[in-house]
Amino acid sequence: MSTVTPVGVRDADVVTQTPPAAGRRGWVGYLTMPLILAVVLISLYLYVNGRELDSIEARSLNAAALSTAVGEHVALTAVSTVITLLIAVPLGILLTRPFTRRVRPFIITLLTLGQAVPTISVLVLLAVMFLFLGFQAAIVGLVLYAIIPVLLNTMVGLEQVDENVLEAGRGMGLSRFQVLRRLELPLAVPVILAGVRTALVINVGTATLATYINGGGLGDVIMAGLSTNRVLVQVVGAVLTSVLALLIDYLAGLAENLLQPKGLRSTRS
Amino acid sequence: MTQTPQTAPEPEVMIRLENLTKRFPGTQRNAVDGLTLDIHAGEIVVLVGPSGCGKTTTMKMINRIIEPTSGRIILGGEDVTTTNADQLRRRIGYVIQQTGLFPHLTIGENVATVPKLLGWDAARTRSRVDELLSMVNMDPDEYRGRYPKQLSGGQQQRVGVARALGGDPQVMLMDEPFGAIDPITRERLQNEFLRLQSEVRKTIVFVTHDIDEAIKMGDRIAILQEGSSIAQYDTPEKILTAPANDFVRDFIGGGASLKRLSLSRVRDIELASWPTVSAADSLEQAHRVLRESDHSAVLVLDTEGRPARWVGAEDLRRGAGQSLDRIGTVPQAVVESRATLSDALNELIAARYAVTVVVDQDGRHLGVVDIEQINEAIRSMRHSAVAEARTEFADGRTAP
Ligand SMILES: Nc1ncnc2c1ncn2[C@@H]1O[C@H](COP(=O)(O)OP(=O)(O)OP(=O)(O)O)[C@@H](O)[C@H]1O
Ligand SMILES: [Mg+2]
Repeated sequence: MSTVTPVGVRDADVVTQTPPAAGRRGWVGYLTMPLILAVVLISLYLYVNGRELDSIEARSLNAAALSTAVGEHVALTAVSTVITLLIAVPLGILLTRPFTRRVRPFIITLLTLGQAVPTISVLVLLAVMFLFLGFQAAIVGLVLYAIIPVLLNTMVGLEQVDENVLEAGRGMGLSRFQVLRRLELPLAVPVILAGVRTALVINVGTATLATYINGGGLGDVIMAGLSTNRVLVQVVGAVLTSVLALLIDYLAGLAENLLQPKGLRSTRS
Repeated sequence: MTQTPQTAPEPEVMIRLENLTKRFPGTQRNAVDGLTLDIHAGEIVVLVGPSGCGKTTTMKMINRIIEPTSGRIILGGEDVTTTNADQLRRRIGYVIQQTGLFPHLTIGENVATVPKLLGWDAARTRSRVDELLSMVNMDPDEYRGRYPKQLSGGQQQRVGVARALGGDPQVMLMDEPFGAIDPITRERLQNEFLRLQSEVRKTIVFVTHDIDEAIKMGDRIAILQEGSSIAQYDTPEKILTAPANDFVRDFIGGGASLKRLSLSRVRDIELASWPTVSAADSLEQAHRVLRESDHSAVLVLDTEGRPARWVGAEDLRRGAGQSLDRIGTVPQAVVESRATLSDALNELIAARYAVTVVVDQDGRHLGVVDIEQINEAIRSMRHSAVAEARTEFADGRTAP
């Protein structure tokens, strides 16, 4: 990956600054995904409830254990995403300022290489080399992996802002900081948010690996099913992870639409 | 000695560029090379010249969007070459061709940009926004809450002008503001802008590569050659009638004489007379007047003195027994005295008797313009400009 391309954004969006017209989906469109997810969860519940569980299965498949796993999983995803944003967005801003032009390619290459190393290797390395285990170690692994999409989208988002708009802003006496805060960032929001959404989805999925270093999450359920050879437990873990991923993606999509600056929305006056 | 116009006190210099030079990094020659230029308060100065000659670079050095390599910029007597650029820019309106409106902000918010930067309170800002939108002929109630992409190109450009006027700057910089707009809308925006300028009297630096726009908009025109070197800096009249060199002549192009005609008004020249009769007169009376003149028709005026009919000898013969305002033809080529000679010429070309009838603002007959007078006007413009250029030259030589 040598050129800077945004993640999760279609070409046309970058060019015209008009992300998909979500406002037109209407209520039916907004309700479809939650309904599907609810149906999946209820079916799963009824199916598991209708089965005679052995003691090993029962140890994993009870309300307390499952809600702990889901809670940990959500925490892993949320914390890692927040930290990712706190690192990647400011870094993206810095790397699009004129004075960092020289170090830019170097840092991007470095981070892209970093992303090529699988998260699982990072986690194992952390555990073996630094005896660093548990929730915090898992967060480090997740953040390292999710930085790149957010960083690249932040940079692309900032760079695609119309040069004339910025020049007009400077010409009217906005300081460099005011140009950044009032013009560049708001106009980059759609592309940055697309990166955030990507990071969230990556993190929900990758957080299942946290179980290898005692980080908790739904990975625990899947692992328990694998090690005890209980297919039902594996399936429940996998389905819950998928439902969570789809739900988070859905919510991120909603946020994207809400945070989109009004003037950039497809016309609906 | 009598006071000649040249020795009258010069208007205040608002912008003085002194030996202004810009070399972009990595280029071999100066984009702007030692430009010195005085711009007087309240004037529109047009920078015009071929593509790449350095117009935009020159203009952007005035508000230091481009920092000069050397030289000085003096604004209202104050050297602003190294002062705080952000503060400086709030005092200078800035309009660019691509409008640069902020797409995520409403029209009202766009126009409020500079007032907010200057720390005006909400009430004052709001009334200023409405005032500015009205000034550029946009209904504030209708457009205040819209977003830029909900406007046409011409409307966006109007908002661009309103926004630039936000902080009531003394100076405005405009880079081809009407360049990307269709000819009809451009014409309208130019006229609106000139009317606006007659009220606000800003000092304006206006960049264009279109000589016709320069002649129309400029109080003074600087024709620039490569490196922003001045080929001629003068009023449109003098540039058209006494181009300083071949470069200027070529740049003005073929239609210089015609262009000149749009600079003078019908009221500025002496009108020719044409035989007239009153509508109440008899046909015999009209016959006599016509025979005594060497023209082929008489102009019939109504009781108010307004042109009513053209009546020729043939009309008189055929219309025997009718009153004068019933025969002949309705005058077509009629202009008011504030029309330009170019307007008069346009009418004249198509007119039946090869003259344009001139009336005052109430429509009363003043006289006519024929081709001879247009020729005469062109000749005298050229003479006076040449004479003036000579005296200035002589003055310049003898001045201490
Ligand atoms: N940022 C830059 N870097 C290098 N050279 C530049 C830069 N901006 C302008 N130039 C060069 O400086 C010269 C003057 O450019 P400028 O934009 O002022 O021309 P202009 O008279 O406005 O032309 P046009 O009518 O095409 O807009 C040109 O030769 C151009 O190539
Ligand atoms: Mg230019």
